[in-house]
Amino acid sequence: MTAAPQPEPQPRPALEARQLVRVLGEKVKTEVLHGLDLVIGRGEFVAITGHSGSGKSTLLYLLGALDRPTSGQVLVDGVDIDRLDDDGRAALRNRKLGFVFQFHFLLPEFDAAENVMIPMLRGGLEPAQARRRAEEALDFLDMSEYARRRPDELSGGQQQRVAVARAIASDPLIVLADEPTGNLDSDSGERVIALFERLNRERGMTIVMVTHDLAFARRARRHVVLKDGRVVS
Amino acid sequence: MNGRRLSLFIALRQLWERKLLNSIAVAGVSLGVLVLIGMSGMMQGFQLKFLSEILRVSPHVTLFDKELRDRPRMLEAVYPGPLAAQVRREQPTDRETRIERPRDIIAALERMPVVTGACPTLSGQAVVTFGAKSQGIDLRGIDPATQEACTPLEQFVVEGRWRGLDTSADGAALGLELAEELGARLGDRLTLVAPEGDTYALQVVALFATDLPQLDATRVYVSLANAQLYLDRPNVVGTLEVRLADPEAAPEVAARLERMTGYDAESWQEANANFLSLFEMQNIIIRLVIGAILVVGGFGILAIQIMIVLEKTRDISILRAVGLERRDILRVFLLQGLVVSLVGALFGAVLGWRLLEFLSTLEVRSEGLVKSTTFLVNKDPMYYVWGVTFALLTGLVASLVPAWRASRVEPVEVLRGRGG
Repeated sequence: MTAAPQPEPQPRPALEARQLVRVLGEKVKTEVLHGLDLVIGRGEFVAITGHSGSGKSTLLYLLGALDRPTSGQVLVDGVDIDRLDDDGRAALRNRKLGFVFQFHFLLPEFDAAENVMIPMLRGGLEPAQARRRAEEALDFLDMSEYARRRPDELSGGQQQRVAVARAIASDPLIVLADEPTGNLDSDSGERVIALFERLNRERGMTIVMVTHDLAFARRARRHVVLKDGRVVS
Repeated sequence: MNGRRLSLFIALRQLWERKLLNSIAVAGVSLGVLVLIGMSGMMQGFQLKFLSEILRVSPHVTLFDKELRDRPRMLEAVYPGPLAAQVRREQPTDRETRIERPRDIIAALERMPVVTGACPTLSGQAVVTFGAKSQGIDLRGIDPATQEACTPLEQFVVEGRWRGLDTSADGAALGLELAEELGARLGDRLTLVAPEGDTYALQVVALFATDLPQLDATRVYVSLANAQLYLDRPNVVGTLEVRLADPEAAPEVAARLERMTGYDAESWQEANANFLSLFEMQNIIIRLVIGAILVVGGFGILAIQIMIVLEKTRDISILRAVGLERRDILRVFLLQGLVVSLVGALFGAVLGWRLLEFLSTLEVRSEGLVKSTTFLVNKDPMYYVWGVTFALLTGLVASLVPAWRASRVEPVEVLRGRGG
């Protein structure tokens, strides 16, 4: 007598938003997200689009544990961010998440490699190990020759690629990108989107990208549209 | 790498990138430490020199008669036996102070472990004349054989022999400045005019020079027996001078001796209270000046750091976004304050050291309270310890507010503001 085959365990979602509500403002309160539900599986490449004020950036900051919901839950790799204190959320961001912003937000006093190293150094890597991984990440993005250059010695596109290298160097579970091409010319924007595709395809990295650009959004495997703080498609 | 090392790495790099700005803060702290070391060295140099000279030539405790004692009444001397009389007016000169049974008291004092010497003295005012010159003097009658145990004066003799006071019937030791004022030399004979108007011959057997100009210009030492003769106080010991193993214990020992002997006892601190309170006042003023300069230095750090925190809000946000904790950010700015103050303190300490070295070689002839041919400076290593400690405390306190403010930055608010 043989045992009945057990069903394959479902992998835990990378990100999950449950009945997410976020109210912004002190005096004048505005509900930006209205009970939003969203599940993003591991290895997905998701583009979130919507008009200005639709709540897409607010959603991204909540998914990235940079903000706390007014009500509802955000689970990052199964961990409810509302149950974590400030330091716990910082540690979660360091271990599981990588961020790319519209403005590259590189630290001007540090060269490209050092900018990439900083999150890994905070994660506990020794400087030599962090530098090796930073150089690998820069190499992956064809930025090896710029490793010793400071941000003000790089073009906008190069700066954004360094920001991508910083986001991926520690091999996070999820990369969250907020308008990563918004401040770039079309060629540089294309290179960044191609990078995300490659990271998703070759490394199986989960990528969540907020963008205005529908052409780039269509390059993602899944397209989520927000309207007035709700998922409409 | 842990959070501490990363904070240090970021702090040092940010400091280095703002060299000019931070060097202003460093200069402020350096100035504070320089003033602390320089002023402390100069003030303490003078004060310690003065006090050490005082301690070399003065007793640590002086015992003197508490009560003014009546002389035998003149009427009682003329009409012995019962007498009804009232003295309606009495002048201070009609009374005399004295130490009764001084030998017994000296013997008792010398048995005390804290006492290293006790000597009988008698002092009074007189005038000496030499040729056409006259000078008021402070006459001290001492026992030259035992006085060394109380106030070791022989070391200050520059001409003649101290023991000449013993061997010469009318020997006197004069302060060098007094002798120069009178034009007297060793071996010269002077005339002493006693308070009662009697005159006595004095022969100069020794000239001494301490570093206290006031003493050298007025003091004349004679033997105790001669002083009793000149001052018309036969067999009287006016005061007992006491030397202690620990001069700092003088106030406590004086209080104890008062209880033991019934006489008044004055410590050297009490005897020089006017100078000591003046020094204390000087020290308070100097501390206030130093404190003010360090506070200004601290405000320099505070202002520059607040400016940097405001300027670096975006960078702080990104550091928080990639996983740095609030305490990492707090540490970055506290470390910056500490590094600025440490560098400032080291510069200030080196400058302070060079200043004291320079001043100590500077030729400055001083004839005030103490005699000196160079700038009086004290090079106590503790000044540097205090300087660095105060500077670090200043840096730490000054950077607390900016560091706390930096650690409170909410990344999402900054990113939302910029990200759209």
